[in-house]
Amino acid sequence: MTQQHAWFIEHVEAFALRHLEPDEERSFRDHLERCAECRKELDRIERELAWLPMGVKPVTLRPGLARKLSRGVLGEREPVWRRVVPWAIAASVALTAGTIALRARADARNAAAQLAAASQALDAARDTLSVLRNTRKVMHAAVQMDGQEGGITILADPVSHRWNVVVHDLPQLPPGEHYQFWFITDGGMVRGTEVHTNLEHPAVMTMGMPKEGGNVLGAALTVEPAGTSSGPPRGQVLAHLML
Amino acid sequence: MAAASESPAPRGPLTLERASALRERLVARDERALEELIALATPWLLGVAQGMLSDADEAEDVVLDAFRILWDRVDTLSDDQPGLMAWLLRIVRNRAIDRLRARRRHGLRIERAQRSGVLGGEYDEPVTPNEAAHPGWHVHESVHAALRDLPEDQRTAVQLAYFSGLTHSEIAAQLAIPMGTVKTRLRLAYGRLRQALAPLKDWV
Repeated sequence: MTQQHAWFIEHVEAFALRHLEPDEERSFRDHLERCAECRKELDRIERELAWLPMGVKPVTLRPGLARKLSRGVLGEREPVWRRVVPWAIAASVALTAGTIALRARADARNAAAQLAAASQALDAARDTLSVLRNTRKVMHAAVQMDGQEGGITILADPVSHRWNVVVHDLPQLPPGEHYQFWFITDGGMVRGTEVHTNLEHPAVMTMGMPKEGGNVLGAALTVEPAGTSSGPPRGQVLAHLML
Repeated sequence: MAAASESPAPRGPLTLERASALRERLVARDERALEELIALATPWLLGVAQGMLSDADEAEDVVLDAFRILWDRVDTLSDDQPGLMAWLLRIVRNRAIDRLRARRRHGLRIERAQRSGVLGGEYDEPVTPNEAAHPGWHVHESVHAALRDLPEDQRTAVQLAYFSGLTHSEIAAQLAIPMGTVKTRLRLAYGRLRQALAPLKDWV
């Protein structure tokens, strides 16, 4: 037995239990690749002390953790997906059905225009689904409006820098007002899109980041008076979400 | 794909036959078997990870990693390798140590280990009925007794090394003793523990 091998044999237990310094661990791993005796000894120690971690008491799982773990292992999405994906699928089906209906009814003169519009709608649906597939961050805020409890949910794709924004369960506003989506940037509030929604029809929008304003830090939803198409928010702030 | 359920851990004795069947079902990609294993093993795995990391979110990440690795590799585990639970415990502990070292906040880590410790102060705490009903509790009792029976200086060394993830040199600095003394205490302690734990068998 060489002096070097003697050191490894002496420290195999410390290696098995992770007590060595990082550089010693690296040396040990290199040695293990060519030393059957140390591998055998390592295996024996790991077996003999396999149950030592169970000296720690078990903990009571928080509600939902077991479900989260099984979803995490199986690659399933978080519950918010279960709420949003059906909308996107329904939208795609409706668009497809609409396309077929349009095609059936179209006469020779407007068929091309209708098909182009349907194709555009399908592209939009594909875009929505693409963002859904690549979502890595989900933001949600509850919104109270006229006694109704609705919400705004943002599903962010960090690769394409596009968002799916869902505004749901909010009442239709009276004439003269509209819901307005805003980007919060480090250069200030940047106007996004008007949001057309009511209690029966959630608004589902896919949008890219604004070209002005700098880095996007979050988003807000306000009620704005009709006719304001530029400038900072003037109306009631319903919700804001920060990344 | 089967829906995940929030079912409680299956009660009753875990026989070797049942453990073997669970493994076979996992190899067959039975998602219900995965849910059963999660229900059985997570209280113990989370206990280890939380004790070492002192961070519930990180601990859950570590446990999730372990189940993912198991799910991906269960068909490569040979029959002569340790059982699923022993394998998961080792993965969780190793991952937790990796995270502790990645933090590079040894001062905080040592302070935490000293302040609370995974095992510190637990020896005389009463056992609640819920705890005792966990499958695997008999293993915990045996390990706990083996640790309790160690001389105090050896038990402290094991706590810092094994349950808090400190290296020899960190323990020596923490206890203000020579590194050779740390090694000796640990060697003696693990010798006793190996003898005491030898009769324990796989239960998952």
